[in-house]
Amino acid sequence: MQAITQLVLDENNIAFHPMMGNSYQLNGISKEIIILLRDSKSKHEIVELLSQRYDTSYNELFIDVSDLFSKLKVYGLLG
Amino acid sequence: MEKLAYEKPTINKIDFAMASKYGSPINTQKVRTEIDGISVNELTEKFGSPIFVFSERKMEELYNNLYSAFSSRYPDVQFGWSYKTNYLNAICKVFHRLGSCAEVVSEFEYQKARALGIEGKDIIFNGPYKPYEDLKIAVQEGAKIHVDNLFELDDLEKIATELGIVIPLAIRINMDIGVYPQWSRFGFNYENGDAYEAIERMYKSKKMKLVGIHSHIGTFMLDANAYRNATTIIMQLKEQVERDFNSEIAYIDLGGGFASKSNLKGIYQSTDVIIPTPDDYAEAITNVIYDLNKSENLPKLYLETGRALIDEAGYLLTSVHGYKRFPDGKKGYILDAGVNLLYTSTWYNFNIETDKHYEGENEPSLLNGPLCMNIDIIEENITLPPLNRGTVLSISPVGAYNYTQAMQFIRYKPAAVLIDRGGKARCIKEVDDLATINYKEI
Repeated sequence: MQAITQLVLDENNIAFHPMMGNSYQLNGISKEIIILLRDSKSKHEIVELLSQRYDTSYNELFIDVSDLFSKLKVYGLLG
Repeated sequence: MEKLAYEKPTINKIDFAMASKYGSPINTQKVRTEIDGISVNELTEKFGSPIFVFSERKMEELYNNLYSAFSSRYPDVQFGWSYKTNYLNAICKVFHRLGSCAEVVSEFEYQKARALGIEGKDIIFNGPYKPYEDLKIAVQEGAKIHVDNLFELDDLEKIATELGIVIPLAIRINMDIGVYPQWSRFGFNYENGDAYEAIERMYKSKKMKLVGIHSHIGTFMLDANAYRNATTIIMQLKEQVERDFNSEIAYIDLGGGFASKSNLKGIYQSTDVIIPTPDDYAEAITNVIYDLNKSENLPKLYLETGRALIDEAGYLLTSVHGYKRFPDGKKGYILDAGVNLLYTSTWYNFNIETDKHYEGENEPSLLNGPLCMNIDIIEENITLPPLNRGTVLSISPVGAYNYTQAMQFIRYKPAAVLIDRGGKARCIKEVDDLATINYKEI
């Protein structure tokens, strides 16, 4: 099971991983991305969905979402 | 449907050990939107990026602060603008307008000063390497020659014979002033008697006479007492020479080395705490002159301050080209300016400011330049909010040495802009191009 599915998210954009004992500060959009990831959405699907909602280009979103994925991997939250 | 405002996604592991009574670096942002009233974005849009920007107002403020610290204590003070610190013509002109003569250390700096209309008598010619022909021109034009070594003394004796004149000279000396490592490479040593012996030689030849004594004890001197010690030795030597050779030493020159308000790597106190004030330096030097002067006249006091007069007046504006995430989790920004333009990055922690407040959490980042070289790192560990492509960063203080020592390496050397006293920006040096690079190639 991906560690990201075990994250506990709260309304203040704090995430907690009970097994690792780590807490994370998120912002609104990263919280949204994590929820989409837990719904088994792919990177492309996430970028597509967000580009319809947010005032930015698909290309910029793709770079930024890729960057978030890299960081989730560094934290051991994503395989 | 109206789209929502976008903010880059961020996630940062919370490190509870980082919390302290001083707050968290996660939330601190340093922002510089303008320099002397002109937006940094406007400057890069108009003049390009990267670009060096110099503030004439700041130069004037630094000059006046230092000059008044000395002139309020001592009646005869002359500053010499240290060309090597920044020899862009427009910068030299500002300091000459403020009253500085020129202090040069090579034939090309000498020619630059002459081309700017500075008379030979208002040029101090320092340095360990003065080619014969250039030395001869400087002598003929009445420049203040500060002798560095015995070979130069031989050359001067020969020039005096050729021209049939007695050359007035100053001698550069080095000495133990309690700051180590001691700068003993330049000039003649005082303690071992080399300096006195060289002076004796001058007088024996009857072709040279000593009119000045010069020292330059180091750079970025954090202890004003070092100048007290240097002035003491210079004044003792002055008295000895005047007594032994019945000759008046008209001036003494304490060189430069005054620190600017830059954050040195490895020093964690505020610059306000560790950097001596202009008054500290002035007090240390002038008190000793008054205490030890035994001549009828006080010697003229020369200072060759460079760094302390220009460093804080210079900025390098650079733009974010992109970023990538490294395997260790750190974010690495690619900038359009690198260490090829920032010689002082070896020993300064620069003040790095963003062009506006950015939303999002700060995270540990790395600032890389554009060079395809692994060493091109401007800042290894800086906490920054998520920046956009095109974000303009202001890097300061970079007024001293960075432009003159900037390397034309891999990328073209950038343009430089001066913001004048009236708050108007003008290009004082255009960006290099292929013609500049290929110039003189055969």
